[in-house]
Amino acid sequence: MNRLEQLKSSGKKAFVAYVMAGDGGLDRLKEQVQYLQSAGVTAIEIGIPFSDPVADGPTIEAAGNRALNQGVTLQKVLEELQSWTFDIKIPLLVMTYLNPVLRFGVERFTTECKKAGISGVIIPDLPYEHKQLVHPYLDKENIKLIQLVTLTTTDIRLDEILREAEGFVYAVTIKGITGSRDELSHDVKTFMQKIRKKSPVPVYAGFGISKSSHVDMLRDDVDGFIVGSAIVEAFNAGKIEEIEPLIRAVTTA
Amino acid sequence: MTKVKICGLKEEQHVQAASRADAIGFVFAPSKRQVTIEQAAELAKHVPIDAEKIGVFVNATLKEIEETVAGVPLTMVQLHGDESDELVRAIRVPVIQAFSIRTKEDVVKLKQSLADYVLVDAPGTDYRGGSGNVFDWSLLEGADIDPARLIVAGGLNPGNVHAAIEQTTPYMVDVSSGVETDNRKDTVKIQEFIKSVKGDFVEETMEKVGFFGKYGGQFVPETLMKAVKELEDAYNEVKEDPEFHKEYHHYLSEYVGREQPLTYAQRMTEAYGGPKIYLKREDLNHTGAHKVNNAIGQALLAMRMGKRKIVAETGAGQHGVATATICALFDLDCVIFMGEEDIKRQQLNVFRMKLLGARVESVTKGSATLKDAVNEALRYWVANVEDTHYLIGSALGPHPFPTMVRDFQSVIGEETKRQILAKEGRLPDAILACIGGGSNAIGMFYPFIQDKEVELIGVEAAGQGVDTAKHAATLTKGTDGVLHGALMKLLQDDAGQVQEAHSISAGLDYPGIGPEHAHLADTGRVEYRSITDDEALAAVISMSRLEGIIPALESAHAIAEAEKQAKQMTADQILVICVSGRGDKDMATYAEKLEGLA
Repeated sequence: MNRLEQLKSSGKKAFVAYVMAGDGGLDRLKEQVQYLQSAGVTAIEIGIPFSDPVADGPTIEAAGNRALNQGVTLQKVLEELQSWTFDIKIPLLVMTYLNPVLRFGVERFTTECKKAGISGVIIPDLPYEHKQLVHPYLDKENIKLIQLVTLTTTDIRLDEILREAEGFVYAVTIKGITGSRDELSHDVKTFMQKIRKKSPVPVYAGFGISKSSHVDMLRDDVDGFIVGSAIVEAFNAGKIEEIEPLIRAVTTA
Repeated sequence: MTKVKICGLKEEQHVQAASRADAIGFVFAPSKRQVTIEQAAELAKHVPIDAEKIGVFVNATLKEIEETVAGVPLTMVQLHGDESDELVRAIRVPVIQAFSIRTKEDVVKLKQSLADYVLVDAPGTDYRGGSGNVFDWSLLEGADIDPARLIVAGGLNPGNVHAAIEQTTPYMVDVSSGVETDNRKDTVKIQEFIKSVKGDFVEETMEKVGFFGKYGGQFVPETLMKAVKELEDAYNEVKEDPEFHKEYHHYLSEYVGREQPLTYAQRMTEAYGGPKIYLKREDLNHTGAHKVNNAIGQALLAMRMGKRKIVAETGAGQHGVATATICALFDLDCVIFMGEEDIKRQQLNVFRMKLLGARVESVTKGSATLKDAVNEALRYWVANVEDTHYLIGSALGPHPFPTMVRDFQSVIGEETKRQILAKEGRLPDAILACIGGGSNAIGMFYPFIQDKEVELIGVEAAGQGVDTAKHAATLTKGTDGVLHGALMKLLQDDAGQVQEAHSISAGLDYPGIGPEHAHLADTGRVEYRSITDDEALAAVISMSRLEGIIPALESAHAIAEAEKQAKQMTADQILVICVSGRGDKDMATYAEKLEGLA
């Protein structure tokens, strides 16, 4: 069984953590994942650095550039994951732009992901309309292709996307790129309620989630939260323990 | 899309060759193409059910016409004599009335016709090198004839029909002698004619979903999908709207100063010692380059969509200046992203944009050039998508941008085609254009794609050489990849990271190439070559001194290749170079690199 399917049945609010693979050196990824697992996160997205991350804000872009400067590639990240022997109990996902996958080869990418124990893949620049490029290969390996929906997704497309949704739905909370924000707009709540009503899989809110006030605002309307830039920032500053209250705010209570 | 009528058919094989036509014409008046009712009835069996069957008459009686309509049967009647309004009214099927156009007075007469459609035909003006007669299409300009009832005939052939359509945007085009060889219909010419109007069947289908072969698509973050789809719908709507085209062409002529000359370059011709060389003068456009053609089209479209904020990227600054100019003209809010490196190289253009009221945002990330400016413009669009239009400057990005930019730039090739036919009575043997993202080149090439006898050559920037690490020769050295919303050819490393491009010319400094160019390279229809920084600089000097035209660095790449190309051509051949922009913006670079020039 895919680990993402187990998530759904647990019924707890999920905390999905994002790390940029290779930020600070690829050898740090293992300890980062171990740390996050022991801190109680529900799942981890492993970000693959890309030269032109147009969906990302300055924090993740800078982390990606640091990783690229260390020579990190998709292949090296997958090899690193495959070398791990410690016990991973939570689902791991790969978040990558499309081009590194195309260059690596879609079929090879999915088989290597399988070997690395990956449960899901997120490709921000692969819209629903083009998912055939990747989905059949992932499906063969029982890896879920996570779809994003946003405040600008029209109702017609929303229905189409949700009908075929698998793993979880990545519901983008802002009109914009990734990165920490002070406030979330108020139409987000209604948006989350609408998606959750229609979605056959859990709905996780992401982009801009960095404070417990964000969590409080949306807690009743989503199944979990995705936190990226705040974690990337904390790891980079050597202050990852400062993220623990946010994890607790989601997973306990 | 303009409909096609193939007229004067007498043989079954020719009716079959015309199976993709929208209408077939049978001539019942005395003529070498005359058929009897019985013959027409036999041929009509081979006409597709949804195609019109049109009978052509000259001063026939109502009774004769009615018998013929019933006997074939015909779905429409076309009148070529001095038929009265009463007769036109009495005919029960739709009627086409034909007029010979010599003067503006003829146009007035035509406008008063009671017929459902009016057909304009050529009187006896000789058309050099052609097989029939063409009338002066410009007579129709400003005549305010409803294009929905206009049928254009007279000297059309597969080579010139596209230009006729562009100029008159008729309901239908009508051809007879233009698809004949030795006074007999020619199967190949019939098919060529239909293809040049309707395009290649397969290519059409691809364009609908935004792909050119395997290239193109809409690879954008989900937040942008709505905007991209809305744009696609809006563009499909205006594409068919004569009002929109009228407005667009109004600004092209009244504001940009089109049409631009196709200048015969006599001294270059003599100096290169090969073909006759013509220069398409995009450098004469207001703002100094071809970019403004597209900026006007997209700005008009944005306003139709109710968007009054514009974001754009710029490399050399030409697109930024064009966008800032149009935003000033239409009172639109304007933000331009530009790489820090390019800002240094193109300070004059930065100031021009500011003077025009645009906000110029410096991009310091990555290579701080065009690619990074596109990234930032896309991010800005993601955050402001509801009220902002992204005015992409090249034939790049997610569908419909590559198609839309191509269409707005096609005015370059359309004018060129018309002009060369007027000057030389035939199409050129080769056409050269420089390529960064590829907008001036696709605009120049597109109207010639179906004219297989015309060699099309795109010229990329080889920077310090294609075998060094510093070049922008994407088609020579690139591989398939997705960047900025489309699958195209990219300069990238083995891990799929996009590499920095290098060229002395800021406008060619882009690591990708538009999806349609990538497809045209694969099919071999366009050949892509490259020119180094040094070769381009040498061409700047040569063109300045031979023709008194100081070209932009981008255009200089095409000019440098022209000198090489000319050596392989002969004096009876014709070569056209697209001079995409003028060199004013590059004067600081010229002064620095050509210091000590004597």
